[in-house]
Amino acid sequence: MNQSIITLENLAIGYDGQAVLSGISLTVARGSFTAILGANGTGKSTLLKTLLGLQPPVGGRLQIGADGVKPVFGYVPQAIQLDPLYPLTGYDVALMGTFGRVGPARFPSRAERDFVRECLHATAASGFAQKKFSQLSGGQKQRVLIARALATKPDILVLDEPTAGVDVAATHALLEFISQIHQERYLTVLLVTHDLPLVRKHAQQIIWLHGSAVLHGTVAELFTPERMAEILEMEVG
Amino acid sequence: MESLKDILSPDFLLRNSVYTSVLVGFACPLVGVFLVLRRLVFMGVALPQISSTGVAVALSLPVWLGLTVNSAEQHAHALAFIGSTGFTLVAILILALLERRGRGSAEGRLGTAYVVATALSILLLSKNRVAESGWLDLLKGEIITISNFDLGLTAVALACALMVLGLFNKELLLVSFDRAMAATLGKNVLFWDTVLFLLIGLTVSVAVLSVGPLIAFGFLLIPVLTAHLLARNMKWFVILASVLGGVGSFLGFWLAYQWDCPVGPTDVVLLGALYMLAFAVKKAVAL
Repeated sequence: MNQSIITLENLAIGYDGQAVLSGISLTVARGSFTAILGANGTGKSTLLKTLLGLQPPVGGRLQIGADGVKPVFGYVPQAIQLDPLYPLTGYDVALMGTFGRVGPARFPSRAERDFVRECLHATAASGFAQKKFSQLSGGQKQRVLIARALATKPDILVLDEPTAGVDVAATHALLEFISQIHQERYLTVLLVTHDLPLVRKHAQQIIWLHGSAVLHGTVAELFTPERMAEILEMEVG
Repeated sequence: MESLKDILSPDFLLRNSVYTSVLVGFACPLVGVFLVLRRLVFMGVALPQISSTGVAVALSLPVWLGLTVNSAEQHAHALAFIGSTGFTLVAILILALLERRGRGSAEGRLGTAYVVATALSILLLSKNRVAESGWLDLLKGEIITISNFDLGLTAVALACALMVLGLFNKELLLVSFDRAMAATLGKNVLFWDTVLFLLIGLTVSVAVLSVGPLIAFGFLLIPVLTAHLLARNMKWFVILASVLGGVGSFLGFWLAYQWDCPVGPTDVVLLGALYMLAFAVKKAVAL
């Protein structure tokens, strides 16, 4: 539990050499459930992109994995980011999770395709396999995208606001499910969200971005009345 | 039906034109699928025009260099191919690079490329009387003078495009649909984007040489939009678009031969009619 899978040392993140946030030093433990919180424009997405390797850090050191073994990311984007013009079925989308293991000019084997069906079953999304992805509801899309992330056989599950545009009941069901697979599969979970009650219920660690500061700690450490007042006052200010 | 028998006869005088038209009809929608899904339809308009400007520049070269008319005509096909392919590939790589940087208006750039390419073609045309008639045929989509060399070139180029699309379809689809996911899976997004754009460029330049820019754009776009109305999944979307393009081009050729019309415009009007029919059928089924 205490072995770190992500280490940030004096990390600066941003675009085109311009730092949005700097001096970030923290570790994410293997098998932990970490929530990334912060108001819009505080750098959550930039941090996520940097962790995923989609953009380089501006400065400092970022170590992903341990002992030279690079972990596999299972990335769950916001469903709204995916263009509804593509006539892909739920199964087509979930199958993309295997593409990291299946090299160019090769096709997913029967075993891989069966595994994708298992992932859809595990996320209670089997019923959406043959339906058009663009026609599914927000919660249904997220289940398919989580199945796709599981199909990558991930070490780290990264979810970018998975409950955005999802109704309250589906949000609770989704987070219960993420917690369940986190425990069953000993997955490291990084969850970007605005939903404080859900974070309090499911997360173990919190990375809270506000202004130019980054707070890192357990739920018990950060969700005290004093710290909350301090943080919220800072955000309002 | 006599005219259909004529067209299907191995001794038919214009058989190369039929084969080329059908090949272009099958192949263009396969890359047109990516133009439509990536919302780059304007690129589908601009590229064929840039390609035909490349042909115009290449065919003007002998005149500018003071070569004789006979010499220029002997090498006209090779020059046209080099001009078309060269201009298209350079243009598509520049446009793709600018799209990747994500700054400014992509529509504005493509619109500018289209209008400047068109104007340049007209300017070159007005200054080169030797090639004027051939260019006009090309611009109007007169698919009647296809040599064995042209047919072979079209077949080889389109077979290459088809093979690359078939083998690397999952990579091309992934980087188009979800670039972030592709990157987290270790895919080189820039490399696969380049492969896709080169493929589009090659197909467009060969199609323009065979059928002209207007008809090439028609085949890139209309069968794809028609298939999009009807297909239930990605696999059938691609297959249906290609079949609609191929069958539409054959039927268009038949109708043009029957009614003595220009082939290219007949193809495009027919594809447009099929699109409207599919739209009406879909609406009727929905009711």
